[in-house]
Amino acid sequence: MNVLLFGTCLVDTFFPEAGEATVRLLRRFGAEPVFPKGQTCCGQPAFNAGYEEAARAAARRFLWEFDGDEPIVTPSGSCAAMVKHHYPLLFRDAPELFAKAKRAGERIYELTQFLVRVARAHEAGLRGKGTVTYHASCHLTRTLGVREEPLKLLSSLKGATFLPMPDADRCCGFGGTFMAKLPEVSCALADEKAASIEATGADTVTGCDSGCLMNISDALRRRGTTIRVAHIAQLLAEGL
Amino acid sequence: MNGANRGRLFLENAAKAAAGTHSVSDTGELLSALGRVVAIDSPVYCPGVTALEKAVASIFPVRAADYTSAAVTVEEVFGAIAETGTLVCSSEGGRAVQAGLLPAHHVAIVRRDRIFDTLDDFFAAVCGAPPTNLTLVTGPSRTADIELTLAIGVHGPERLDIILV
Amino acid sequence: MSPGQTSLAFRENTVLALKDPALRAAMRQATDTFGTKRADAFAPVAGLEALRDRASAIREDVLSNLPMYVERFVASATRAGAVVHRANDAATAREIIRKILAGRGARRIVKGKSMVSEEVDLNSRLEAAGMEVVETDLGEYIIQMEGETPSHIIVPAIHKNRRQVGRLFADRLGVPFSDDPQVLTKIARKALREKFLSADAGISGANFAAADTGSLVLFTNEGNGRMVTTVPPLHVAILSIEKMIPSLTDLPAFIRLLPRSATGQPITSYVSVLTGPRKAGDATGAKELHIVLLDNGRTEILAGESRDILKCIRCGACMNVCPVYRAVGGHAYGWTYPGPMGIVLTTLLTGMKESHPLVDASTLCGACVDVCPVRVPLVDLILGLRRRKVREGFAHPAERRGMEAFGKVAASPALFGLGQRLAGAFWPVVRALGGKDVAGRMPAPAKTPLRRRLP
Repeated sequence: MNVLLFGTCLVDTFFPEAGEATVRLLRRFGAEPVFPKGQTCCGQPAFNAGYEEAARAAARRFLWEFDGDEPIVTPSGSCAAMVKHHYPLLFRDAPELFAKAKRAGERIYELTQFLVRVARAHEAGLRGKGTVTYHASCHLTRTLGVREEPLKLLSSLKGATFLPMPDADRCCGFGGTFMAKLPEVSCALADEKAASIEATGADTVTGCDSGCLMNISDALRRRGTTIRVAHIAQLLAEGL
Repeated sequence: MNGANRGRLFLENAAKAAAGTHSVSDTGELLSALGRVVAIDSPVYCPGVTALEKAVASIFPVRAADYTSAAVTVEEVFGAIAETGTLVCSSEGGRAVQAGLLPAHHVAIVRRDRIFDTLDDFFAAVCGAPPTNLTLVTGPSRTADIELTLAIGVHGPERLDIILV
Repeated sequence: MSPGQTSLAFRENTVLALKDPALRAAMRQATDTFGTKRADAFAPVAGLEALRDRASAIREDVLSNLPMYVERFVASATRAGAVVHRANDAATAREIIRKILAGRGARRIVKGKSMVSEEVDLNSRLEAAGMEVVETDLGEYIIQMEGETPSHIIVPAIHKNRRQVGRLFADRLGVPFSDDPQVLTKIARKALREKFLSADAGISGANFAAADTGSLVLFTNEGNGRMVTTVPPLHVAILSIEKMIPSLTDLPAFIRLLPRSATGQPITSYVSVLTGPRKAGDATGAKELHIVLLDNGRTEILAGESRDILKCIRCGACMNVCPVYRAVGGHAYGWTYPGPMGIVLTTLLTGMKESHPLVDASTLCGACVDVCPVRVPLVDLILGLRRRKVREGFAHPAERRGMEAFGKVAASPALFGLGQRLAGAFWPVVRALGGKDVAGRMPAPAKTPLRRRLP
C-alpha cells in the first residue's frame, strides 16, 4: 500500500536519519512511503504559542500536500496529535478545509501506531542489542493515547533488554516553545529526566518524538553521560 | 446490604481511618467496652439525654460539668455511614456537636439501625430540612501539613472510639 | 491587579526557586507523595470515569445556571437565618467583613483556611483595623508566623521542611526545638486552643454551598474548621459564587472525588454541613452567621471563552502532577493560586497585564487534564489564554515577528528549503544570536536534510 510520509520539520532538518529509518521500516512492512516534497511543518510551534494565523498557514500547506485518502505516517507523536486534535479547530470557519482537516486526522498515524496496529511489526521478530529504556512523550501518551505500541515493539526486540524507566511519562521539559521561554525550568526538567534515564542503567534511551530526544540529549551531554539517544525508528530499523 | 454486613462494613471502614472500633450486643457489653476504652480517672462528659446515654452515664467516677473541661466525651450520635466508616453528629434535638470536638478523646455510641449504606442514602434522607449542624466524622483529627507526614490529633480529638450497639 | 503580586517576574522567580535546594527537595518529596497517595486512593474505586463525568456534569449545570443557583442559595440561606451579602469585588468584600466584625466589637478573630480570603487580601485589612487575626489551619498558622503566603491551595506550608518549622516554633513560641511533626502538631494544638475559646468571631471559607437548603459545606481534617465555625458567637463565611452545587444530594460525588484527588484520603476527617446560625432549641452553632458571596470577576469569566475554569473544585490535584510546579513551587506564580489552575485563574482574575508570563508556565504536557476530577480542560484553557495574550498585544515583539516569519516559511516549501540551507550554513551565527538557551541546546542542522535524501 502507499502511505504518505510526513517527516516533520525537526526530523527533516536535524534528524534525517530517523526519517530514513522510518522509510526502511515502512518498506519492510509492505508500505511504500511517498514523501510529498512540498511539506513543511505541522504548525505546532505557532499554535502552541498562541499564533493561530501562522499555525493556519502551516496547516493549509499540510492539508494541500497531504490531500488524498492514503494513510499518513509520521515519526512524531506531537505532530500526529496536532493534526488530529487541533487542525479541525483551526478551520472551524472554513467548511471545506474543516472537512479535509477531519479527514487528515482520521488518516494520520504516529509511526509506532502504524507499525503495531497495521503492520503487526511487534510480531515480526525484529532484532536488537544492549539495554534500552523508553521516554513516553506527553502528546503521544496523553493526547493520542499511544502507550502500549512502543512498549510492544521494544519488548519484542530479540537480543535487547528493555529496562522500564520510573516516571517514564513525566514531561522532559521540551514543551516546544517552553524550552525557549523558560529555559532554566526546561533544563531542570530535562536534568531530572536524564537522572531517571541514568538510574535505569540502560545504554540507550529511545522515544517517538525528536523534540524530546533532542532535549534529553542535551541534558545527558551537560551531565557528561554517554548514553545513546536514538529515535525508535532508528532502533527498530537497525534490527531489520 | 443486610444489617450485619452493614455494621461490619461500617466498622471496617472506620478502623481504616484510625478509629477504635467495638461491636456490642447489649447494655452489659456496652458498659464493658466503655470500661475498656475510657481511662478510669478521666473527667468524662456524657450528655445523659438518650436512653443509651442514661444507661451508661453513671459508671464514670469523674464527671465533667461540660465538654470544655472534659478529657473524654461519651455520647450517642445520630447515625453512621457504612460506605466511608463515618459517624454522623447532628445538632438536632439540642445536641452539642462540639461535645465530640473539644475533648481529646471522643467515644461515640451508635445504634446499628442508624447506619446508612451509602453517602447517597444519607444525603437523600437529610437534604430536605437539614439541622443547623451536621458533621460527618471519620476518624480522629489529623494533618499532613508538615512534609506531608501524617500527624493524628490536631485541634479536634486525638482519639476516636466507636461502639456499635 | 493585587498588592504584592509578582507574576510578572515569573521567570525570575523560577530562577531563584531553582537555586533553592531545600525548596526543590520539599517539592519533589511532596509531589512524589501526592502522586502515590492519589493513585493508591483511586485504585479500588470502580467507575472512576463515570464519577468524574457526573461531577463534571453537576459543575457544568451550575455554571450554565449560576445566577439562578446563587439567587436560590441567597433565599434559602436567609430563610435559615443567615445574613447574606453580595460582594462585587475584593475591596467591597473586605469592607463588608470589617464592618460586621467592627460592629460587634470583635478584636480576636480565628480563621480557617480560605483561599478566597487570600485572594481578596482580607487579613491585612482586618489587622489594619486593629484586629488580631489568627490563622488556625496548621499550614496557614506556620506561614502566618513566617510572614509568607501559601504555596499550595491544600497544603500551604508544603515548601517548608520539618527543621524549618521546628526552628520557627522554637523562635516564635519559645518552645524547645523539635523537628518531629507529631510534637510540632501538639505544640500548635496547645497554642491555638485558647485562641479558639476566647475568639470573638470565626472566619471560614466553604468548599461548596448547596442552593436548595442554603447550606455551607466544609471539608476539613484538623478540627480547626469546626472550631472556627461553631465556637465563637459570630461566624463569617466568605466564598466565591461558583462554589454552588444545586443540592446536598450532589455532595456524594464530590466527597468521593475531592479528598482522594487532594490528599489521597477516601474522605476528610470532617465534612461539616452548616445551615444557618444557632436557632431556638439548638446547643450548637454561632449565634450569628454572615455569608459573603464574592464575585471579583467571575460573572465576567462566566461569559467568556475561559468559563470552564470555574468548574474547579480546588482539590489541588493539578498542581500535584504539574512538572513545572514540582520544579519551582507555588510562590513563583506570584499570587494566590499556583500550578495549572493558578495559571488560568490568576490571569483571568488579575488581568493579562499583571499575569501574562504565567500563560507560558506550562509545557502543555496534559498531566493535569488526566487528574482533574471535574474535567476542567486546562491545556485548552491555557492555549486560549496564549491566543488572547497575542491578540491583546502582550507578546514580545521579536516573538511576533518570528512567528509571522514562521507562518510564511511554513506556507512555502521554497522558503522552507531556503531556511533550512541558511540555518545550516549559518548555524554558528544562529547559535550566537539565538543564544545558548535555545540554539545552544540543539544540534547543528544536518548537512543533507531529509527532503534532499528522498526521491
